[in-house]
Amino acid sequence: MPERPPFDPRRIPRPPEPPEGTRAEFTALSVRQVNELVRGALARHLPPTLHVLGQISNLARPTSGHVYFTLKDDYAELRCVMWRSSAARLKFAPEDGLEVIATGGIDVYAQRGTYQLVVRRLEPRGVGALEVAFRQLKERLGREGLFDPRRKRPLPQVPERIAIVTSPTGAAIRDVLQALARRYPPVQALVFPVRVQGEGAAQEIATALRTLNEHAQALGGIDVIIAGRGGGSLEDLWAFNEEVVARAIAASRIPVISAVGHEVDVTISDLVADVRAPTPTAAAELATPVAAELAASLARQAARAARAARHTLDLAGARLAADLACEGLARPLARLRWRAQGLDELQHRLRHTLSELLRRAREYHNAAALRVLAFRSGARFARLGRMIDRHTHRLWRGLSAGVLRGDRRLALVLARVDKAGPPARLPLLAEHLKPVEARLRSITRNLLVHGRAALTLRMEAIAACHPEHVLRRGYSITRDARTRELIRSVRQVRARARIVTQVADGEFRATADDPRQPELFD
Amino acid sequence: MSKPAKRLKFEEAMQRLDAIVQAMESGEIGVEESIAKYEEAMSLAAHCRQILDQAELRIQKIQLDAAGKPELTPFQVPESPAGEEAESGGSIGEEPADD
Repeated sequence: MPERPPFDPRRIPRPPEPPEGTRAEFTALSVRQVNELVRGALARHLPPTLHVLGQISNLARPTSGHVYFTLKDDYAELRCVMWRSSAARLKFAPEDGLEVIATGGIDVYAQRGTYQLVVRRLEPRGVGALEVAFRQLKERLGREGLFDPRRKRPLPQVPERIAIVTSPTGAAIRDVLQALARRYPPVQALVFPVRVQGEGAAQEIATALRTLNEHAQALGGIDVIIAGRGGGSLEDLWAFNEEVVARAIAASRIPVISAVGHEVDVTISDLVADVRAPTPTAAAELATPVAAELAASLARQAARAARAARHTLDLAGARLAADLACEGLARPLARLRWRAQGLDELQHRLRHTLSELLRRAREYHNAAALRVLAFRSGARFARLGRMIDRHTHRLWRGLSAGVLRGDRRLALVLARVDKAGPPARLPLLAEHLKPVEARLRSITRNLLVHGRAALTLRMEAIAACHPEHVLRRGYSITRDARTRELIRSVRQVRARARIVTQVADGEFRATADDPRQPELFD
Repeated sequence: MSKPAKRLKFEEAMQRLDAIVQAMESGEIGVEESIAKYEEAMSLAAHCRQILDQAELRIQKIQLDAAGKPELTPFQVPESPAGEEAESGGSIGEEPADD
């Protein structure tokens, strides 16, 4: 609006002097002249700047950018206009019903013959413009669903690269970097320097967010963005309450952590961001795990893997053993067992044979001893008896030693078979067992053969000494016919006594005629 | 056996490791697979360990070139809150001892 010249009544075009005597001829003003007169009068009598308290109504914001509204209270209304240049500086959006203090000057709108307040500044009543602006943007974006929890992207558990959009010289960047270095140094920090307050700050922040998204690939991938600044006044933090930043955060494909000011400061950015951090340090802590904890969890997982592997192997081992114990699956072992059973049988037979031999040897021995006893023929038979004993004993010893040796070997082999795990070793054991078994058999056979031969020899020797052989050589045995008592002395025989004489092939009865001492006998 | 890909991110490697451990602990895999999985688990753990062993924070600065494309340059961490005064002479406690 062009600067209005000070009102000067002389500049009002004077009406021409009415001609003398013409009553009807008087001076008339143009409409414009009247309005100019009013404007001048107002200007002279009103202060150039007024502060007007009222409620906005009939608000209109045409595309021209000018803002038109009416201020009213209970009794009156006042037309207001706010030219585009002033409206552009508004932090908040004027709206109907809003109590405001409008600052400006009264002017006359000549075309309509009305006066209006030309508003140069508009402030919400009671609260600051920024508070209202904050509330308004919050409501609007909220209606759009930008704060919806379902829109929030999850943060990566373990980020590789973190971009930090903030001032490169402020306390915030130092705090963030320190926290990152302390918690999780493997992460890479990419600092995107921006102005965080003052004119253009919001645009820079928004551009940074867009750039990071567009060029994430070229930058090697970005897992999370921290955007923020340290604490300050509402004006200082204002960039993070601007719509352009809110929209850039909402549009970011990379998760954004907003970290503005101190705990108590909540900005629009905080609400739109995927995660709100109360401070820049907290943002770094939210963005990263603790390296030491990761290392511990890593060690735990590795240990669990090892334990599971060992367990699986143990189980498999047990199953294998069970499978081997089961016949069908373990032929080699079954064969071995069969062989072992054969050995058991052999051993049993061996022992049986041994005891049988001993029994028979004793029988012979006893029979011989009995008969020898019957002759009472003393030393020779006693010697024979001892010899039989000795041979029997030796036979038994030889047999038992062989059996015991075989037994020990067998036990050893069987123990190894029992311990044997992997089937690959079974054939080896079987090979090992074969000669043992063969030797055991041969020992047994030899013992039996030799034992029998030796025994036969002894038996023959004993048989040679048998009383029958003696009788055949012409000796005889005489007993008392009544008592069957063996007659060894003539003094046993009374005259006329009945006697029985045994010879090789029979016996005969006789009567003793004249028993005498055999003094002639030598 | 899957490659212990050097490019595998820590989180991916850790997730794979978790999956392997779960599979192994389920007891539903055979001995051979168990051994294979164990080896993979160990290689993943080693890979993760290697990442964790990076002990120093790497910091770079993103700058826009004339064409508006971002490029990475070294970044100097601000020494003290009063950055403008830092040029005049080091930080506290580092003052020269000789007069």
